Order: sequence, then C-alpha cells, then structure tokens
Amino acid sequence: MITAPLLEVGVLVLGMVILMFEAFATKIDKRILAFAAIAGLAIVLVATFFVAPVPSPNQATGFWNFYTVDRLSVFFKQFALLTTILVLIMMIDYAPAVRSSFPGAHDGLGEFFTVPIFTCAGLMYLVSAIDFIFIFVSLELVTISFYVLVSFTRKNPVTLEAGVKYLVLSALSTAFLVYGIAWIFGVTGQTNLQRITEALATPSTDQSATLLGMVLVLVALGFKIAAVPFQIWVPDVYQGAPTPVTAYLSVGSKAAGFVVLLRVLRPFATLPQMQRLLVLIALLTLIYGNLAALPQGNLKRLLAYSSIAHTGYLLIGVVCLDSNAVVFYLVAYLLMTHLSFAVLVIVAQQTGEQIADFDGLAKRSPFLAFAMLIGMVSLAGVPFTAGFLGKFFIFYAAILQRQIALVVIGVITVGCGFYYYLKVVRAMYWQPAAKIDNISVSTLSRIAIGALIAATIWLGVYPQPILDALKR
Amino acid sequence: MITLGDYLIVSGILFAIGFAGVMLRRNLIIILMSLELMLNAANLSLVAFSRFRVSPAGLPNYNAQVFVFFIITVAAAEVAVGLAILVALFRARQTTDVKDISELKF
Repeated sequence: MITAPLLEVGVLVLGMVILMFEAFATKIDKRILAFAAIAGLAIVLVATFFVAPVPSPNQATGFWNFYTVDRLSVFFKQFALLTTILVLIMMIDYAPAVRSSFPGAHDGLGEFFTVPIFTCAGLMYLVSAIDFIFIFVSLELVTISFYVLVSFTRKNPVTLEAGVKYLVLSALSTAFLVYGIAWIFGVTGQTNLQRITEALATPSTDQSATLLGMVLVLVALGFKIAAVPFQIWVPDVYQGAPTPVTAYLSVGSKAAGFVVLLRVLRPFATLPQMQRLLVLIALLTLIYGNLAALPQGNLKRLLAYSSIAHTGYLLIGVVCLDSNAVVFYLVAYLLMTHLSFAVLVIVAQQTGEQIADFDGLAKRSPFLAFAMLIGMVSLAGVPFTAGFLGKFFIFYAAILQRQIALVVIGVITVGCGFYYYLKVVRAMYWQPAAKIDNISVSTLSRIAIGALIAATIWLGVYPQPILDALKR
Repeated sequence: MITLGDYLIVSGILFAIGFAGVMLRRNLIIILMSLELMLNAANLSLVAFSRFRVSPAGLPNYNAQVFVFFIITVAAAEVAVGLAILVALFRARQTTDVKDISELKF
C-alpha cells in the first residue's frame, strides 16, 4: 500500500529526470525519452491500484484539507495517466512534423515528450483537489504547460496563432476563476469545499453574493470544458495545435474540468438558480456544437465542434448531478476520441487533415480505415459501441430527473451527429482514392489502436467493469 | 473611514477596466497587461475580505492572503510563457496586433 500523493511525486520526478537526461545526453535518439516516459507512467498507473485509504474530508487536518483520495479521484488519476500514455504514443508518430519545425541541431523533441508528463501531474493533482487554492494552482499547472504544448511547432504560423488565442482566452478565464473564488471567500470565509458547504447551509449567508462568485467560477470552468458561450477558442486552437496536443486538450483538459465542476457544484446545489443556468448552457452547447459541425471540411475542426457537442451531453449528466453517468461518458469519450486522433495523426502525415484526404482510405490502409470507422460510429452513438452506452446512461439519468427539454434536444442533436460523423466514413469507404499509397503504421501505434478498438467495442457490449469500478 | 465596500468597489472597477482592455484593445502586450490588472483586482478583493473578516482572537483570516501569494506566483509564470509566445509571434510576423492574426476562420 502506498499513500496517494506519492503518485504525483513519482510523475513529477519522472518528468524532471527525463528533462535532465535530455539536457546532457545530446547524441541519443530522442524517441527513447518518449519510451522511457511511457514506461514510467505505466508503472505509476499500476501503482494507482494499490492506494491506501485516507481520512474522510470531515475530520481532515493539514495536507488532507487540500487533497482527497476518494474513488472518483483515483479513477481519474488512472484516466489522466492512460490519456498521457496514449498522447505520448501519438507524439512519437508526430515526431517528424516537430523536427521539421526546428531547423538546426536542437530538434525540440525532448521537451515535446517531457511537457505532457508535467501536464499529467497537474491533472492528477486537480482531480484530488478539494480546496479552491489547490484547484487554482493545479489548474494553472495544467494550463501553463498547455500554453507551451499548443504553440510548440512555432514555425507554423497557424500553430502560433492558435497558441496566442489559447493564451489570451485561458488567462481571461483564470482571471474570472480567481475573482469568483474571491467572492465565495468573501461570503463564506473559507476556501475548502467541505467548509464552504457547511457555511452555505447556515441561513445567514448572502445568497446573491454567493451566486455572483459561483457564476464567475462557472464562466472559468465553462472555458475549460468548452461550453457555449465560452467555446470561441475551441475550433481555432484545436485546428492550429499539433494533433497529439489537440487530442490531449480534448480529453485530458475536458475531463479534469468536469471533475472540478462536479466537485465545485456540490456545495452550491441548494441554489435553485444554478440548475436553471446549467440547463440553459447545456441546451445551447448541444445545439451550437452539433449545428456548427455540419458544414466542416477539415477533420480536426470537425472534431473540435464535436468536442463542444459532447460537452453538451456531459452537461446533461452534470445537471442531473449523476457523476457515474458523467464518468462513464468520459471513459467512452477518451477511447473514441483517442482512436480518431491516432488515425488522424498517421493519415495527416501522408496526405492532410481535410475530410477529402481520407478518400479511399479503406483501400490504402484497411486497418486504419476500420479504426476510424469504429471511432466515428462510437462518437455518433451507434449501438454496441461505448459511445452509445455513454449517451444511454446520460439520457436515462435525465429521464429519471424529468429533464424533458434536455432529452428531446439531446436526441435530435444525436441525429445531427450521425450526418457529420458518417461523412468521414463515406469518404473512407465509398470515395475513390486519389492515389494508392500504403500507409505504414508503427508497431506501438498498431497495438495502441488495436487496444482502443477492442476497448470501444467491449465497453459497448459489456460495460460492467467500469460500472463496478465506480460503485466500489 | 474606509470600509470593506470601498475596497470592493475599487476592485470591481479595476476588474472592469481589465476586462474592457482585453475585449477592446488590439495590441497583445496591452491585452496581457489588462489580464494582469484583472488578476490584481481579484487580489485586492481577497486581501480586503481577509482584513475585514477578523476572528474572535482579533486576527484576520490568513487563508486568502496565502492565496494571493499563489496568484502572484502563477501570474508571473503565465506572463513568462505568454511573453515568450509573443516574442515568437513577433519574430514570425513582425506584429503584435490581433487584427493581423486571423488565418483560422470558421
């Protein structure tokens, strides 16, 4: 048995050791660093299954005022580690594009493989944070390392533009977060979520000031999870960022945002205005994300709008305060999004990121085409895939809570989703290929993509393991 | 006598000025400065709330003041990375005007 904070310390030490090694060993093939990072994170992933229990938040003292180890946080630590490992595998495939962005002796790959480790540590801290100070600091660790990653291939003007947009809008959301926390502190005199709940339960607290603070915090978290009307940055940043980083933003950053949202909303669930506000945001997000995705011709941009649409479905679960449905959806989302991006990284190196570049992929590489097919039908929500069950649990929770408007709009927008996801499938299987070229896939990517396909179908047929892991 | 309300009004005005700067100005350096102003507005409210919420022992609530130190540190890190990105942008485009960075469109 090990205590939980050791996991994050392990990840941070791993990152520093690899960074040091990179600084002094200049002659090696930089991909060794990525393999070392993957191996190290895999060891930490195994270690997460042997975490010792900790005192409950009610009688917590010292460090445990800031940091908790409940099953939600341990589950999401595993989630963050798995995401980072998959992103590193994609980064190895993406290495030639990074190298071409750095002319000269220094190829920048060492940092490209190391920064995600620190992001991962930030995500792991974030899902355990139960104090606003700790939430702020770990959220910033994630955000600042993403600034670096998003604008990493800086010789590409589009990437730099995405980096600047992400920098300004993220920093803006941080300012809202801090100002919101200041107001919540002003009302309750506490920064710990448990104590805030206790303070809000007393009738003498000022409701309107609490609501102001909470709305400001909600604006900031809306930026992180890409909810309408705070989604402006998403399409541009997703399209401009290096593709593995886009996948990381789309899964890691969003999942962490939702965990924080679930934790932060709990003390404020007693305010009736919160519920109405969240329903409104969820409706807008569903409609905007799905409709804006329809005319897209660039696959990365399409996946960006689809990511906004999925935020809408996840928000339905948040409105119902059903954390199990949200978590299951996030797991399904991790599998299918990584699957799509892993194929996109490989195909984009050969041809491009447009949907037209996927024409005839079934002839050029049947394996990649099948992987993309599973990713797309799962994102659309076809039965016997993880995406279908994710949507099913969300809608089931909404029906139990009698959120009829959300269910109706949700089901209509799912139909919308079928159109734009199957557009990609149509290009791969029914369009003639412009040129027949064999696309080579490295063994590691082949294993990762194969495992993701298997997991997507397995969870769609037999979701019990995840449901059990959440009940434990 | 300066009350808590006065501090909060000043902090609200600072936050509004910062937000207006981010929304209306076109120079990225000015936008970064406005972002710092917004963070400092939050710092001012935190310190004011801390100072005016005195415990029975006569001590202010220091939680918020510790938080302010974290905010200052993080803001410094953010500016360090942000300015590096702006320098890279200036080298590539010879501009820091947001009107000129509009290649990504719907």
